[in-house]
Amino acid sequence: MPQFPRICILGGGSAGWMTAAALATKFPNAGGEITLIESEQIGTVGVGEATLPHIRFFNQALGIDEPTFMKTTKATFKLGIEFCDWGKRGDRYIHPFGDYGFPVDELDFHQAWLKLHQAGKAHRIDDYSFPILAAQEDRFKIPEGDVNEVGSNFGYAYQFDSSLYAKFLRSFSEARGVKRVEGRVVDIGLGATTGHVETLSLEDGSKVEADLFVDCSGFRGVLIEQTLETGYEDWSEWLPCNRAVAIPCESKGELSPYTRATARTAGWQWRIPLQHRTGNGHVYCSEFISDDEAIAQLLDNLEGAQLADPNQLYFKTGRRKKFWNRNVVSIGLSAGFLEPLESTSIHLIQEGITTLIELFPSAGIEALDVDEYNRRMGLNFERVRDFLLLHYIATQRDDSEMWRHFRALKLPDSLDERLQAWLSRGHIPAYEFGVFLPPSWLAVMLGQNLMPTDYDPRLDRYEMDELHQRLETIRTQTADAVRATPTQAEFLAQYGAASRSPRAKAAS
Amino acid sequence: MVASQKTLVVIGRGLAGNLAALALSNSLGPSWRIVQVGQPSTPPEDSFYGNVTAPTAYNFLRSVGLDEPRLLRRSSTAFSLGTHFKNWLGGASWMQCHHSPFATPAGAPLHHQLTRLGLDLEPLLVSAQVALAGRFAHPPSDPGSVLSRAEYGYQFDPMEWACLLDQSLQSSPVEIVECGVSEVETQAGNITALTLENGDTLTATLVIDANGPSRRESLCSGGAFTTKRTVHAQANQTSTPQTGPACQSVEASAQGWVSTAFLQDRALGLNVSAVRGNNAEQQGFNIALGQLDAAWNGNCVAIGHAAAVVEPLTPAPMMLLQRDIERLLGLIPTGVNMEVERREYNRQYRDDIAHISLFLTTLVKSDDVPDSVYWRDAQPTEPDEKLQRKLAQFEHRGLLVSYDLEPFNDEDWTILHWGKGLRPRQYDRTADAMSQVDATQTLASIRQSIEQITPRIPPHGLYVAKLKDYLERQAHG
Ligand SMILES: Cc1cc2nc3c(=O)[nH]c(=O)nc-3n(C[C@H](O)[C@H](O)[C@H](O)COP(=O)(O)OP(=O)(O)OC[C@H]3O[C@@H](n4cnc5c(N)ncnc54)[C@H](O)[C@@H]3O)c2cc1C
Repeated sequence: MPQFPRICILGGGSAGWMTAAALATKFPNAGGEITLIESEQIGTVGVGEATLPHIRFFNQALGIDEPTFMKTTKATFKLGIEFCDWGKRGDRYIHPFGDYGFPVDELDFHQAWLKLHQAGKAHRIDDYSFPILAAQEDRFKIPEGDVNEVGSNFGYAYQFDSSLYAKFLRSFSEARGVKRVEGRVVDIGLGATTGHVETLSLEDGSKVEADLFVDCSGFRGVLIEQTLETGYEDWSEWLPCNRAVAIPCESKGELSPYTRATARTAGWQWRIPLQHRTGNGHVYCSEFISDDEAIAQLLDNLEGAQLADPNQLYFKTGRRKKFWNRNVVSIGLSAGFLEPLESTSIHLIQEGITTLIELFPSAGIEALDVDEYNRRMGLNFERVRDFLLLHYIATQRDDSEMWRHFRALKLPDSLDERLQAWLSRGHIPAYEFGVFLPPSWLAVMLGQNLMPTDYDPRLDRYEMDELHQRLETIRTQTADAVRATPTQAEFLAQYGAASRSPRAKAAS
Repeated sequence: MVASQKTLVVIGRGLAGNLAALALSNSLGPSWRIVQVGQPSTPPEDSFYGNVTAPTAYNFLRSVGLDEPRLLRRSSTAFSLGTHFKNWLGGASWMQCHHSPFATPAGAPLHHQLTRLGLDLEPLLVSAQVALAGRFAHPPSDPGSVLSRAEYGYQFDPMEWACLLDQSLQSSPVEIVECGVSEVETQAGNITALTLENGDTLTATLVIDANGPSRRESLCSGGAFTTKRTVHAQANQTSTPQTGPACQSVEASAQGWVSTAFLQDRALGLNVSAVRGNNAEQQGFNIALGQLDAAWNGNCVAIGHAAAVVEPLTPAPMMLLQRDIERLLGLIPTGVNMEVERREYNRQYRDDIAHISLFLTTLVKSDDVPDSVYWRDAQPTEPDEKLQRKLAQFEHRGLLVSYDLEPFNDEDWTILHWGKGLRPRQYDRTADAMSQVDATQTLASIRQSIEQITPRIPPHGLYVAKLKDYLERQAHG
């Protein structure tokens, strides 16, 4: 058996430390052969606070204790995302983690709902969703028991301080033998015949050698792009936002278990409540608004006093042409970036890590592994892209240049066909590989006022009264379950997950 | 008649037509009138649906009234733990059994430990061992029992099932017209009227062509049937004093292959070979393998053999037929413009066909085939990117590549690769998380518990007989 490859991870942001922690756990016998280089001088991107439910499986696989993790990263629970002003100004809906209601025999719940809705006999679809109602009342509990019961059929994620998460994973990884090197990489040595990256030289003259490099150097893509010139597939045509500015602020009121994304005239604004503060940011398209205006808009819309100077970020949406090129695997922002509208970046990091582990080049770099990795990650990125684009095109807004741009956009065929299937009969084509399942598509399409003209004709075998009765039962049970649920603040305290530090205050 | 009632006409009264008519009738409300037309005879080609179903058929069959008690009491249906390939290409023999997700010792898929330790898969598969021992019992729900890992389908006679379904149809709201279609009137690619052999005319909103492989051009209008070859099939049956094993067997022969399925009181055989010269005394039928490029054209949906014919070497034909019907049920048109439904149906249909053929191609692909027309023609001619990826990745490192919503699952594929003698060159290093000794022991204990339980499970025939006894008593008591 050949030697286990020496691994070098370049970058100590969320991507770098998540990769280090996972590899050290999965390959405990590789001890001492995983090195991570990071530069405090360069720092990390400093954003990335909202996640998807899959992160729980990542933490579980590492054996991380949930309350400890939450306390350390000042995390809150997340039941979904509230979207404001997307379909029309004044609209709001929550995209929850979980299904709406329960199927009616073999038929989708939403089809039954559509039939009742068309007859004027349905409540808002939100009323059949536990995570939505709980989120609206700032309540939370961990789903337990039978997933076929009201109050158990949902998922949850976290909202956390990403720099604290990276720190947390750093001590975790170091305790498992990962060697951390501080310093700036200034030179890269390539193999003369292979073209593989062989050594990274740091400013202080020291060198790190490895067989496999994971490029987690952020937008720079120090290895994958600056060195290997892999190329970037630009997706600005569909996702034109290219800048962001982030400002944390004091939090006010109840601790809400959801992220908010509010549409603006040239982009959108996020609000992510953590235990000690609220993260805010404005993602926008520089073609439609100036940086100063963007910052001003954000400042106008903060709920509490500003806690730090604006953090200005520049990006281009898209993906690396090859995520894995030669002996460099790019994970994190170096692999590509889709705007954070659905909190997918950390999830894509996680997908990258899991896929790398599954295709781990333990016997040397082989074309078959590289090729399969690139195929899988490509599919992941593309399916996320279509789902993000949906938010922009499922809209009645035309009050600014950006919205008019989207109204005139020619959609990718796959997305166009999905919309038509939905609009005509509430049908959502399913796929197996990809993070967003039909309930997510449903949430956004209905939430942004795309109402199908018809429903699945199979529902006509039920009498209206019977369907109405079935849905009423679900609705009242959901409301009862929510009433019996503690507030998130209560739950955090009782769960031992409440951070001891007080809420942050702006210097006055 | 309900105001603005729509009419759905099912053409064909064989297995496909009956399954579809009943499923539609159970699914749709009174706004649809369902008419089924055709002679009440099951076409001989129905034997090409094969004699086995996969475990995934269970709920579907129940939904059309083919629940297990009825199947056992009212037909000669028996259980199926899989298909026993014997003397297959290159002499390989294995049990292509049905199994729930494999154990993952130390978090790595089972076959990585096997590769690491150089062990065989079959002794670790309870459904394989029980079937090979000629035994059967229902998998218990208690996960503590190793038998709970087994899954099962049925061994059945398509003609018999068609008859059972026909009985249900007689007492259903489906209107049955005992004659064929003589004329089809179309306009702009849609069927506007069907003239029946009895002179009646039917106007149809939607037509289901379940009329088998004859594929009348005016029905599948616009859909071109792509075929690379035609084979000859001959079905036979012999009565058996005792029920055979709970698995079908398939054997390669110089001229093709032969399958035998074991029902309660008889064995059903199917002999498939290349088409021979025009020999009048030759029994059986010729059938073209292939598929319509699009199964839904205009307002006509072809299902079952009318859409696609694959060899019944596995439960694939029944899987496809079930998917045809489920796809249709999920896309019953809401109006006269069926463009959305048609496109989505055909997209799913093409995926299913492509995925089924990946499995079948893998099964028959070999460098070591008998030197005969049948086997030469059975070899794939063009490389298929999806298939190459699956084969190359499994051989390279035991990686199971899968695509969206494939009918055959990871276990089916692992068993197939293993059975055909494809072994990964390397295993996943996460398997090393468990020491060699521990891994050996873990696998040995799985094997031992299978060895211990197998002799305590009753013979298939005895189990069926007792179960039927019990069901009879329940029905009368
Ligand atoms: C505006 C915005 C909002 C976002 N919001 C979310 C969100 O809500 N949810 C979510 O999941 N994701 C979000 N993301 C994405 C998320 O921030 C990133 O995916 C995540 O932080 C991972 O970043 P990273 O580790 O790849 O890069 P970085 O955090 O940029 O880390 C790069 C690392 O590389 C090191 N480095 C770089 N060059 C060198 C060098 N030459 N030598 C040595 N070290 C070097 C740096 O020091 C640093 O440690 C957001 C991103 C943006 C831009």
